[in-house]
Amino acid sequence: MRILIADDETLARSRVHSLLGEIGGHDVVAEAANGEEVIEAYNRVTPDLILLDIRMPVMDGMEAAQHLSMLESPPAVIFTTAYGEHALRAFELHAVDYLLKPIRKARLEEALASARSLNKAQLAALKQDQQKPYQRSHISVCSRGNVHLIPVANIIYFLAEQKYITVRHTGGEDIIEDSLKSLENEFGDNVLRIHRNALLATAYLEGLEKSRSGQSFARLKGCEQRLDVSRRHVAEVRRQLKRRCKS
Amino acid sequence: MDIKAHQDKLFLPDFCSIQAVFAVVITGEMLAFVLSIISSTVASFWYDLGMTSLYVQWVVLLGAASLCVSRRLLAKMDNKQAGLVAYLILLLISLAVSELAYWLIHYLHLGRLEIHNQHLLFTARNMAISAIICALLLRYLYIQYQWTAHIQSEANARIQALQARIRPHFLFNSMNTIASLTRGQCRQAEQAVEDLSDLFRASLTDASQGIPFSDEIDIARRYLRIEKLRLEKRLEVDWDVDDVPTDAIVPALLIQPLLENAIYHGIEPRNEGGTIRISGRRHGHRLVVSIDNPLPDSSRSSNHDGNQIAMENIRQRLAVFYESPGSLDIQVTAERYLAVLEFPYVTERS
Repeated sequence: MRILIADDETLARSRVHSLLGEIGGHDVVAEAANGEEVIEAYNRVTPDLILLDIRMPVMDGMEAAQHLSMLESPPAVIFTTAYGEHALRAFELHAVDYLLKPIRKARLEEALASARSLNKAQLAALKQDQQKPYQRSHISVCSRGNVHLIPVANIIYFLAEQKYITVRHTGGEDIIEDSLKSLENEFGDNVLRIHRNALLATAYLEGLEKSRSGQSFARLKGCEQRLDVSRRHVAEVRRQLKRRCKS
Repeated sequence: MDIKAHQDKLFLPDFCSIQAVFAVVITGEMLAFVLSIISSTVASFWYDLGMTSLYVQWVVLLGAASLCVSRRLLAKMDNKQAGLVAYLILLLISLAVSELAYWLIHYLHLGRLEIHNQHLLFTARNMAISAIICALLLRYLYIQYQWTAHIQSEANARIQALQARIRPHFLFNSMNTIASLTRGQCRQAEQAVEDLSDLFRASLTDASQGIPFSDEIDIARRYLRIEKLRLEKRLEVDWDVDDVPTDAIVPALLIQPLLENAIYHGIEPRNEGGTIRISGRRHGHRLVVSIDNPLPDSSRSSNHDGNQIAMENIRQRLAVFYESPGSLDIQVTAERYLAVLEFPYVTERS
């Protein structure tokens, strides 16, 4: 199997690497030190299996797995963790494979033999079991077998159009499958509902304008476009702007 | 706050001490007052109070004196026996004083008390009062003793519960690091094992015992050396604690949990890592140690709820350890997390 090792600690990676060498028959095709690097490496080398550390900076293993599960044929994933507390019960419950560090060679061999890819249902269930509300650091878009990441900080707005959602970000526009409701729940105070079909990143809200006909528009930072603000949401947008002036 | 290792086994307080004698005199006087109020008329109140006081004070002072003298003997018995013996001693003294009083009044004709020829009644009355009051008193002392013992055992349990603990997360990560090092970097593996042992030894020392500040710094350095193996370039440390006297006594593992916190919530989640700054200052009789670390970009709000317990634990340990209060102050900005410890400079545990 072609394997990607993801862990933010060099020593942890090198140990897994040498264990795999002893087991034999596998090929370590890349290493990654955080979730972003995992996706980047995946796009580059498309490994069959990822040994994925849960706790990593920038983007953790859970989120990386979530982005990868959007692919049509996602790679197999085995999570690794030093100490999982409550989380591990959820893993067992949903038949998600994991290894405890320091990893035993026999256990690793076993896990490799039965490795399979995670499905969305498993990941959704894991996400629900997490105690604190979970926020992705990136939104992902899949195309031609690759995963493209959009950092949440770069997202200007989400616009719902029939079945899809258009994500407007500093690097352009993309289409994702999601619902405004769940995005609103996930990103909480970082987004603001301005219309039945539009969710605006509060960081990009610049001002409020009114046309002669009485229609309100949101002015956006670094973006020429104006977005409709429906009458029921005008008050909330105004409050948001006022709050910002104070602080 | 000084917690005695083991409490006196005898439930009776030490009646040889000035405080106890004073308490006995006051209590006796209150009793005399009560007895006088009950039995006197308005006209004879002060005379009766004087006589009763004289009588009662004789009984209580002699009683206190004999319990003081016989304390060593009583201490050898169990509390039930000791209580019984003390009770008998007190009754005997009451009887003796009562007899003495009767004959004094009888022969000196201390007039108004109409006790002549009523010897038996006088004695019976005195003994009844004495028997009831002494029984109540001993019972009170026994309950008081049990209550104090309970408080003390609770305080001991609390201090044990506050014992600083090393997080399992750190233990398993370190074990993983050592497992990796044994494949070729034996010297470093050896050092990591030694450092880890020292750290655990420190966490197992009696929580009520303090250690010199220099030792605490030593533990902190060992801890950081282990973490450095794991995090490599991502972890930088800046020490500035020369101002703090090395002989200052601090509770063991006062600083290490704050460093662990700084790494877990600050350095580790940052891709580029960062520098932890530890600085210590002396302001007269107070010492201030601050630990400052960068925080990860908070597009995802970093959740610090988890370590509230650790912070509260340090606060309580400071409160239990020092007589004058110590404090732990946390300041959080968007980019940095600052923990400031302030505590008295003592070179000896009070």
